[in-house]
This record gives sequence, structure tokens and C-alpha cells, in this order.
Amino acid sequence: MSELSGWWDDYFWGAMVVLRVFVVALVMSVVFGLIGSAMKLSKSRIAQRLASAYTVVFRGTPELLVLLIIYFGAAVTLTSIVQIADPNVKFVDIPPFWAGAFAIALIVGSYMTETFRGAFLGVDPGQLEAARALGISNFKTFIYVRIPQMWRLALPSFGNHMLSLMKDTALISVVGLEEIVFVAEMATSVTVKPFTMYIIVALIYLAITTVITLSVMALEKYANRHLQGSR
Amino acid sequence: MSFDVSLIIDSLPKMLRGLGLTLQLLFISSFIGLALAVVILLMRISGRWFLSAPAAVYIYVFRGTPILVQIFVIYYGLPQFELIRESIFWPILREPFGCCVVALSLNSGAYVSEILRGGVLGVEKGVLEAASAVGLSKRQRFIYITTPIAVRLAIPAYSNDTISMLKATALASTVTLLEVTGVARTIVAETFAPYEIFIAAAIIYVTLASMFQKGFGLFEKRMSRYVKDA
Repeated sequence: MSELSGWWDDYFWGAMVVLRVFVVALVMSVVFGLIGSAMKLSKSRIAQRLASAYTVVFRGTPELLVLLIIYFGAAVTLTSIVQIADPNVKFVDIPPFWAGAFAIALIVGSYMTETFRGAFLGVDPGQLEAARALGISNFKTFIYVRIPQMWRLALPSFGNHMLSLMKDTALISVVGLEEIVFVAEMATSVTVKPFTMYIIVALIYLAITTVITLSVMALEKYANRHLQGSR
Repeated sequence: MSFDVSLIIDSLPKMLRGLGLTLQLLFISSFIGLALAVVILLMRISGRWFLSAPAAVYIYVFRGTPILVQIFVIYYGLPQFELIRESIFWPILREPFGCCVVALSLNSGAYVSEILRGGVLGVEKGVLEAASAVGLSKRQRFIYITTPIAVRLAIPAYSNDTISMLKATALASTVTLLEVTGVARTIVAETFAPYEIFIAAAIIYVTLASMFQKGFGLFEKRMSRYVKDA
């Protein structure tokens, strides 16, 4: 393992980049999922159609391809916009961090859409009727009645989506983000010990996914605490 | 910037040539993965710790790491060892195609065995009790009762997994294979028209994915024909 000395801090900062992408993409994907499920459950035909097109396309396209479309597509689009103002500009660089986080969030958001839709439908309609009978406003019903009951139902698949989101972050190295796969590539070109370098990457991912799995289990226990002893 | 629709139409035939490789990767690794999954499943439900513990570790490791990293460990990593380079597996592990098949099979084996386990655990207890009441042995119960019911229960999840596998074959382009995504990347490198080319590739994948979904839907319907209202 002596070949690893000197690379530990690179792996550490690479892992920090992975965690930052994870958090940013997770927040975005929850937003996309909430918007998507709201559109699917709305009465507007157009909104329903748009949301199902979104889920069909992003659940059927490889993650790598979506990332490449967003990264290179954004570069081409921005370049042509900038060229209107200044024709001398040859190329605009897109930060791989944001392109990557956005691409992953779009994909995971399409899965979240289905999960949230199912969870919203799983809330007992009697609960909502009771809230209306008590004169609670729609907004308050959403916050105090719907959300606490739906997130309990959504949690198991939400946990799975978090895991696939975490694993998708490895792809962003393809467009040059300096995360741990990228560090392993660099370290390999110096030390010529590819197995050691990539196994470290695998172990880092395994550690992070283990932490996610355990926290989802704890959250599930917390969300279902009112059921304890009833079964 | 202009969006050139004719470029999509021009590039589709080129990418369809990559489709053969995509489908080969998908079918070969799904087949090996399924065989592996059955073995792992039998190990997990065997009730013997020295069989179920390694199976659980295998599933944990392969489900907890990105497929891209698994491909890199196998393709770039394994040649580090003299032992591998002199073994009989070297002709397979030397080629990027062989490495991708190995990585995808191992990965799908882990996921599919969990799906099958869900199916087996979903079989109603009463049915098995009835079977033992009419005198079927443990083996007969597994083959004639548990297996057909578990297969039906597992179809929806297996269908989703096949689509994930289809999407995972795109990762083969990172180790120089020219499947659909690989072909698309080379065309983009020549034309620098990312929208047109990558969207054409996405159309191929989405079409394939919906075909698989339809196919599995029909299969599920057939397997559920004994349920009246299905």
C-alpha cells in the first residue's frame, strides 16, 4: 500500500467533491420530482402529458448520454449566445460540476416523480376530507397532513434513488470533474498501480452508500414510530 | 446555433450499426447475470451461513459501488497482476468487450438475485402449506410451486432491471467500445453537433426501452392468466 502515500489528500478532496455534487443534485432532484408529481396529479391534460414525456425520456436514456447532452449541449448553446455579443469568442467552458449535477438531478428527478406520485396517492383521502371538514386551509393541509404521511410512504424508494444518485456521480469524471475516479486516473498514470487506485475508489463509494443505507433505515424507523407495538 | 434535423436522419443509420454491439452486451450479460443470480439466490436462501454470508457480501459490494468503477477495476485494474495476465481468463479480460461483459454480468447478478429473492419471499405461505399437505417434497415444492409464482411476482422489477442494464451498456463507451453511445461520441467529435447526434442516440435507447417494457408487460399478462381479473 506504499504506493498510496501522497494520494490520500487527493482522494479526500475528491470525496468532498462527490459529496457536494450529491447534495446539490439531491436537492434539485427532489424539486424536479415534486414538480413532476404535481403535474402528473394535476387536472390539466397538457401538464400530465409533459410530465409523462419527462419520465419516459429520462428513465429510458442512459445517464452517460444525458450528461453528455447537457455538458456539450450547454457549451455549444452558451458559445453561440456569447458569440452574438462578442464574435471573437471561440468556446465557452461549462463547469462540469453544475452540468453534472443538473444532468443527474434530471434523471433521478424522473424516478422521484413516480415515487412521489405514488406516495401522494397513498395518503388516505379520508384524512384530507377530515382536514377540510375541520376548516383547515388547502396549504396547511398540504404541509401538516399530506407531507408527513406521504414521506413515510416515499422513504423506501427515496432511499434507493439516493443510492443510484450517489453512484451516478462517478460518471461526471467523464467530462472532467476532479472527483475520486479522476484522482484514480491521475494516480494510475504516475504509479502504474491501477488496481490499487480504483479499488480505493470502490471502497470510498461503498462506505458512502453504506452510510446512506443506514441513515435511510434510521429515518424509516423514525417515520414509522407511531406503528410500533401495533403489529 | 442551428438545430439540423437532417443530421439526425443522417447519423441514425451509423448509430444503428452500434446497436448490434449494445444488444450483444445486453443479452450476453443479462443471460450470465441471470444464471449467476439463481446461484446466488439459492446460496442466500439455503439457510447455511457459509453459503449465505458470501452471497450477501457479494450483493452488498456490487450494489454499493458504481458500475463505471467496477468496469475500470476490471479493465484497467486487473492487468496489474501477473497472475491474471498468465491465467486462462486473459483472452477475455484483455479485450474491453470481455471486461464489460464480466462487469455487467456480475452487477446484474447481484441486482437480479435480490429481485428473485423478493419474488420467492412473496409466495404465499398457505400455498406452500397446501403443497406439503398433498405430499410434495421440499424440492418438488420449490420447482413446481415457488418457482412459477415467484417468477410472476418478479417480472415488473426484472423488467426495470433490464432497462437499467440497457442504460448501463452505454458505459462501455468509456473503455473504447463503439456501441450506440460510443458511435455517437465519435460522430460528435467530428461534427461537433452534440444536440442532434446525442438526441438521435437517445431516441434509439428510449425506443428500445419502451419495447422491452411492452414485451415484459405481455409476458406478465401471460404469467398471470390464472388470476381472473388481471
